[in-house]
Amino acid sequence: MCAAAPHPAQNPQGSRGSLEPGAAAREALPESAIAEILALRSKYPTLEALTLPALHIAQRVSGGWLPEAAIEAVAQVLELPVARVAGVVSFYDMYHSRPVGRHRIRVCTNLSCQLRGSSEILETIATELAVGAGEVTADGRCSFVEFECLGSCDTAPMIMVDDDYHENLTPERVRQIVRELK
Amino acid sequence: MTGERVLMRNVGRPEARTVRGYREGGGYDALAKALRLQPEEVIEEVKRSGLRGRGGAGFPCGSKWSFVPRQSPKPKYIVCNADESEPGTFKDRLLMEHDPHQLIEGCIIAGWAVGANTTYIYIRGEYTKATRILEDAVRDAYDSGILGSNVMSSGFRHDIIVHRGAGAYICGEETGMLESLEGKRGQPRVKPPFPALVGAFGCPTVINNVETLCCATHILLRGADWFKAIGTDERNTGPKLYAISGHVERPGTYEYPLGVTFQQLLDGCGGMYRGRELKAFIPGGASAPIMLAADREIRMDFDTLAKAGSMLGSAAVIVMDETTCMVRAISRLARFFAHESCGQCTPCREGTHWMEILLHRIESGHGSEADLDLLARVVPNVGGISLCALGDAAQGPVRSLVQKFGDEIRANIRAGRYPMPLQRHFDQGAAA
Amino acid sequence: MPTLTIDGRTVEVAAGTNLIEAGLKVGVQIPHYCYHPRLSVVGQCRMCMVEIEGMGKLQAACSTQVMKDGMVVRTNSTSADEAQRAIMEFLLINHPLDCPICDQAGECGLQDYSYKHGQSFSRFRFDEKRTYPEKERIPLGPTVMLNMNRCIQCTRCVRFTEEIAKTSELGFFERGAHAEIGTFPGKPLDNPLSTCVVDICPVGALTSTRFRFAERVWYLDKKPSICTGCDAGCNITLEHKAGSIKRYKPRQNPEVNDFWMCDYGRSTHERYRDLPRLAFPQIRRNQALQATGWKEAIDHLAHNLRSRRTEGAIAFLGSGFLSTEEAFLLTKLATAVDSPHRSIWVDSGPTRHIPNLQGGITGHDAAPNRRGAELAGLIPAPGALASEDLLLEGAAAQCGALFVADSDFGRAANDAKVVERLREARFLAVMGWADTLLARAADVILPVATHAERAGTFVNSAGRIQRFERAFPAPPQVRPAVEVLADLLSRFDTKWSTVTPATVFDLMAEEVGAFSGLRYREIAAEGTRLSGLSDGRPPAATDSAAARPAGPGT
Repeated sequence: MCAAAPHPAQNPQGSRGSLEPGAAAREALPESAIAEILALRSKYPTLEALTLPALHIAQRVSGGWLPEAAIEAVAQVLELPVARVAGVVSFYDMYHSRPVGRHRIRVCTNLSCQLRGSSEILETIATELAVGAGEVTADGRCSFVEFECLGSCDTAPMIMVDDDYHENLTPERVRQIVRELK
Repeated sequence: MTGERVLMRNVGRPEARTVRGYREGGGYDALAKALRLQPEEVIEEVKRSGLRGRGGAGFPCGSKWSFVPRQSPKPKYIVCNADESEPGTFKDRLLMEHDPHQLIEGCIIAGWAVGANTTYIYIRGEYTKATRILEDAVRDAYDSGILGSNVMSSGFRHDIIVHRGAGAYICGEETGMLESLEGKRGQPRVKPPFPALVGAFGCPTVINNVETLCCATHILLRGADWFKAIGTDERNTGPKLYAISGHVERPGTYEYPLGVTFQQLLDGCGGMYRGRELKAFIPGGASAPIMLAADREIRMDFDTLAKAGSMLGSAAVIVMDETTCMVRAISRLARFFAHESCGQCTPCREGTHWMEILLHRIESGHGSEADLDLLARVVPNVGGISLCALGDAAQGPVRSLVQKFGDEIRANIRAGRYPMPLQRHFDQGAAA
Repeated sequence: MPTLTIDGRTVEVAAGTNLIEAGLKVGVQIPHYCYHPRLSVVGQCRMCMVEIEGMGKLQAACSTQVMKDGMVVRTNSTSADEAQRAIMEFLLINHPLDCPICDQAGECGLQDYSYKHGQSFSRFRFDEKRTYPEKERIPLGPTVMLNMNRCIQCTRCVRFTEEIAKTSELGFFERGAHAEIGTFPGKPLDNPLSTCVVDICPVGALTSTRFRFAERVWYLDKKPSICTGCDAGCNITLEHKAGSIKRYKPRQNPEVNDFWMCDYGRSTHERYRDLPRLAFPQIRRNQALQATGWKEAIDHLAHNLRSRRTEGAIAFLGSGFLSTEEAFLLTKLATAVDSPHRSIWVDSGPTRHIPNLQGGITGHDAAPNRRGAELAGLIPAPGALASEDLLLEGAAAQCGALFVADSDFGRAANDAKVVERLREARFLAVMGWADTLLARAADVILPVATHAERAGTFVNSAGRIQRFERAFPAPPQVRPAVEVLADLLSRFDTKWSTVTPATVFDLMAEEVGAFSGLRYREIAAEGTRLSGLSDGRPPAATDSAAARPAGPGT
């Protein structure tokens, strides 16, 4: 037999489950990160609007990617259904639901960069790191992906390493950049 | 032809990133002037200027502002579209990195005009440097009494919140942006209702591109007549930023009166890369149908390009020389659109994917002429019936490829020339 | 109200009505997948593109509202037709076309619209079909299986869990051609209404774990019925093959269950498959039950009801599974032997809530017809033996004869202690369909039709009387309870010799105030709200059954 049907009013969205699992989920994020998220409250008329900034924060404090526990924690803090938050995570290219390297390289291969040699840049990075796109080097140092236009077409070819743009690249220059990543 | 730099006047003046430095160059005078006018007068001035949106659609800015109800029981919002993601486009990044206060000033003016006390600047997540600079500038503006509860002692309250995206082209679409701002997947909404009535958080909202808001600043300061005098005609007015990339000697952002010819742009950036021949160019970002070398004298304004079957779009000009494999070039754009389709509506979700498959097949040497014929028949179904403009955008470049390069592609298929050899850029000597 | 023209037919609709609904009013069916009248309008499948005079582009009918007079809509113009054809092609290029093994086959939106709007050839290379590797059989929860390859991303299911069930287990993930639906790890689709997502899935992406591979749907016979899982009274379609029930599906009734029903209700037909059945009349002779004929069994029972009056009370114990007509005849029988001891036993069930536009309907009982049975007269007079006296306090020992109808009235029917108490009556008769412990204790057994094998009415928790139809005939030796009870009554009063549920109901309506003015054939398809009844329990019931007993085992 199945359990009693809940009356909708008694089962508001986002507050499923008892307190304990909620508390456990929140533990996936440091208190300081939760405080940083909730400090944004006054900037938006809804709690849900904090989703993107909260995921940026959660990803930053979780080693550059979003483990399931971190997604659940964000859902808990923002009182949202976790499936919805996970749907948001999977929608945006900058959120990662799988581990990434300590340094994340995004190689623009869109048309302007393609016209200026991005395929050779990509090739160089793949050879240098000896892993495929989306994979992490054995030492956890780097991962790289092909990326869509990063809005730096006048300095093509270019890559983004972590938060910084590296522009007007040549294979030699990019080799040097990759080697200098610790 | 380059004339006065208006929008780019503070490029190369790092001190303009502070309120003090910006004011030294006449900054915030436009806002002060606007605050002395009635909001209706501000809207009227912008309407009269003929300013059309610089983000891609070219919608008249003053009209957009006037659609917002004067009286509203709900708060109203300005959302600045700084999600510059159209391949080939990088002009807004320049404006934000070099002259953040020009944008802030434009936001507050728009807020005053429509009665909005809050602006969200939705900036693409990858623009970390521009975000930092904008956030610093916003803080400075609060500290200087430019933002906050009493803007320039006028009694008007205005807040600006810099909101980072997270990597999704579709969030540049107005309602996709609103969904994203609200914390959801950036899936465009069914329209109507239009954002002017039901926008961010269900409230009346104006969404303007960065460059559009920057233009508004100058219109207020120097008047609609001054603005109107620049450009091709009364429907194509004002200064314009052109972002030029690809096979040219000096790619970059260039400011010209709206309606400069492509040839003038090309000359302005040092001509073709390594002196090669022009093969084709995309005049307005990845969504704009391709133009041919023979079109080089065309005026780069909204109406002339539309008449020629393409569009000004974001004025991102991608130049391709004689060595370019057109199928590879457009195949890359098709892959982009397939990757960026939000996935909710059928023609875009399935159609962009199908176009990508067909183009890849030809590019990689596995295609036949029948594939090209099929592509030609599939393409029209992708646009027109999609939920938002992405479907139309995605089919534009592919349609023009089939139309303008069909014979060339057919000949190449027959001669077994695909896949074309990769153009090496960095062979010894060339890298220097 | 604005007037518009659709395919040449003019119709007046309330302002704000969308074109799909407006079309339905004049018999124009505009094809659609993502639109559902109870879910938010997302306009994303683009199947419902129509031409509207004066508008340059085709418009989605679902998201176009009629606001003012004079709109002229064409759903079958060349351009609308081309658009629909294009959408069909797009939807099918990546669809697996595994119809021969797909449960949805026969009731599939893709099949139906392909027939009407599709083309007969494919322009897509099969080897390039997008697939979701290892996502052909994903259990989303205990009741629903997902085959992602068949999904057309209409997101009805996602919206259902967000907007109707309000449990939000389902999400929309990834984007573009890789967009998919699913759950978050560790948070399965598990809510009382979960199987509704199978009903609203227009394709074979979501199938019911209960019904998967049970039967090809075109072999199923369908009858309108009422769920017996509780007293909410959900309208259902009973689907069976040659008398074997395969599934219950909700049948729309905006006043009751709207488009929905609960998972528990869907499972309730399984008792007819799982419980042993009473197949022929039996009489206890020399301690043992022996098969007998109907005439003999009825004569035997009538004789005992008459003759045992000297030995003690003659008590009648009905159940909430009786139809209103059966309950009325049982009441008549009690009257015929001058017995005030008539009551019903109803197990209380978990509260079940089904949302509808008015907020919803709630069931509390574990049987469908407490209110109908009580209105029909199965209420003990003050001082008479009530069901709780018989079951809980062992008052059966005071009975000369006890007639229990039906054999499956609740958990007590298989509770040895309770059966022992009831057995203390000098004579025990049991009418019913299930071979329970209680039936086996009886002196006479009258095997009757199951819910699917009879017709009649129930009165739900909100006081709405609803009719259900017979789906298939009872087995040869088994008779509908209405006939059996009338046969019994005829031993006391000849006017009752031949009856149908309709004739019983119409006679009852002449006698019982709650039904006055109603006729069986005139009960509306969506049921009829009985006037003068409050929501909840009928006032008459409050005397004797004020404290509803907690049933054994609760």
